[in-house]
Amino acid sequence: MSRILVVTSGKGGVGKTTTTANLGMALAQRGHKVAVVDADFGLRNLDLLLGLENRIVYTAVEVLAGECRLDQALVRDKRQPNLALLPAAQNRTKDAVTPEQMKKLVGALTKAFHYILIDCPAGIEMGFQNAISPAREAIIVTTPEVAAVRDADRVVGLLEANDVKRMYLVINRLKPAMVEQDMMMSVKDVQEILAIPLLGVVPDDERVIVSTNRGEPLVLSENPSLAAVAFSNIVRRLEGEKVPFLDLTAPQDDLFSRLRRLFRGRSKP
Amino acid sequence: MTSDSSLPAAIPSIVQPAPEVSPVPQVRFKGESGRLLLLLPSETEVVSSAATWTDIWQQLKQRLNAGERFWQPNTPVHLIARDRLLDGRQLQSIADALTEAQLQLKRVYTSRRQTAVAAATTGLSVEQQSPVAHLNQPEESGQALAEPLYIQTTVRSGMEVRHPGTVIILGDVNPGSTIIADGDVLVWGMLRGVVQAGAAGNTRCVIMALRMEPTQLRIADFVARAPEAPPNLYQPEVAYVISDSIRIIRAADFSKERLLPPVSSDIEAEE
Repeated sequence: MSRILVVTSGKGGVGKTTTTANLGMALAQRGHKVAVVDADFGLRNLDLLLGLENRIVYTAVEVLAGECRLDQALVRDKRQPNLALLPAAQNRTKDAVTPEQMKKLVGALTKAFHYILIDCPAGIEMGFQNAISPAREAIIVTTPEVAAVRDADRVVGLLEANDVKRMYLVINRLKPAMVEQDMMMSVKDVQEILAIPLLGVVPDDERVIVSTNRGEPLVLSENPSLAAVAFSNIVRRLEGEKVPFLDLTAPQDDLFSRLRRLFRGRSKP
Repeated sequence: MTSDSSLPAAIPSIVQPAPEVSPVPQVRFKGESGRLLLLLPSETEVVSSAATWTDIWQQLKQRLNAGERFWQPNTPVHLIARDRLLDGRQLQSIADALTEAQLQLKRVYTSRRQTAVAAATTGLSVEQQSPVAHLNQPEESGQALAEPLYIQTTVRSGMEVRHPGTVIILGDVNPGSTIIADGDVLVWGMLRGVVQAGAAGNTRCVIMALRMEPTQLRIADFVARAPEAPPNLYQPEVAYVISDSIRIIRAADFSKERLLPPVSSDIEAEE
């Protein structure tokens, strides 16, 4: 049976779309047939991140209106034939579709794809309701910030109430150096509040911005960055593999800082 | 957190102010002779914050998720819809949600004709009550507290639990959430949200938590914030009102000081 996952966060700008693009691409690289669905009607971005903007002819709205077939709207990725994008309409708002219609669309996709990733818009209004209604599992993306974690917590509660009970946590944009100096929430702090299984931690990386602007997901790059490795690991964990978490402190590590950390760890109660 | 010998004597007498603001009623389950009553807030009660179907639906799901463990399979449920307007689809989703929790919706009580018709069409047995009878015996007429609400869940940001009695939570109360109880509030977990005990004005109500890191505590009309500097060691604590302010004390000391009969203070007075 195909897996239907919604990628959501509550707060905007924490990296939902980046996560969707990279996870979708990484899953496709592993040989799965993957459909990524942009549920952000009116503010679509997923096509940009995947570099597929100029190949969109029809969108989900036209499919629902019966103006085209579903397979006409699906955009196959030129680099990775296993990946397809179902674009959202840019000229409509989030009220243009209903949860029932989303369920129908995604239900049709399950016939041809193993994985369906739904990129959820920010907020908890209609767009959110639309995006989560077909989902059976959820990936909660958050950054180690109080506001992002608070919103993620709210979203977890709403998902529970909407019968999406399998949830996984992705912590994005962690700065290990800042955590070490106690200036940023640690992975443990975030987990303590959200209390859902951790799927992975993606370090803050400037290359993410470059890849976003170029429309080339990180996981496609020849010499993968730490963030790209983190995304690949997330996909492996999603499939049930046991992958040890990356030691994000490793690159800028030396004997001194290691010792310092050791002692600091000791001195705390 | 020092012990004060005059403590028991200093407990102020119960203040019972008239409830100016009736608390926003929520979806509630109530056990009654072998069956469960599912009480929906009445439409007239909720004027300011209109409890829409979405709110009701979410509250119902949250209560079901949080209490599942305590219900015997196939317990009959009677839906007390009062003057709430429900259509067939809504009634069906309530029935489905209950079925999922292995409960059976048996009967619908309503004072609205449309709801009664919708329920009958859905295939439920209906009892239509006259709205007047309901107005004459509002549920809040008695002063007695409702039976305690015992829920096993993480109370997450944005959730609000209101209950006209004591609330017991097996789980964490996260920042951004609110608990408002007319009785005590017991949190078997971390307390990080806003919690109010004795919301109807009872200053003798207490708030207990395994780990007290609240955004704000309220008991009756008193309000307190957590200290700016967090303690380096968290342990179970109790918040209560003494000499017109909220005080937090270690749970172990609380039982010694507060729960002993007043006799102990007499002894200390003699010394």
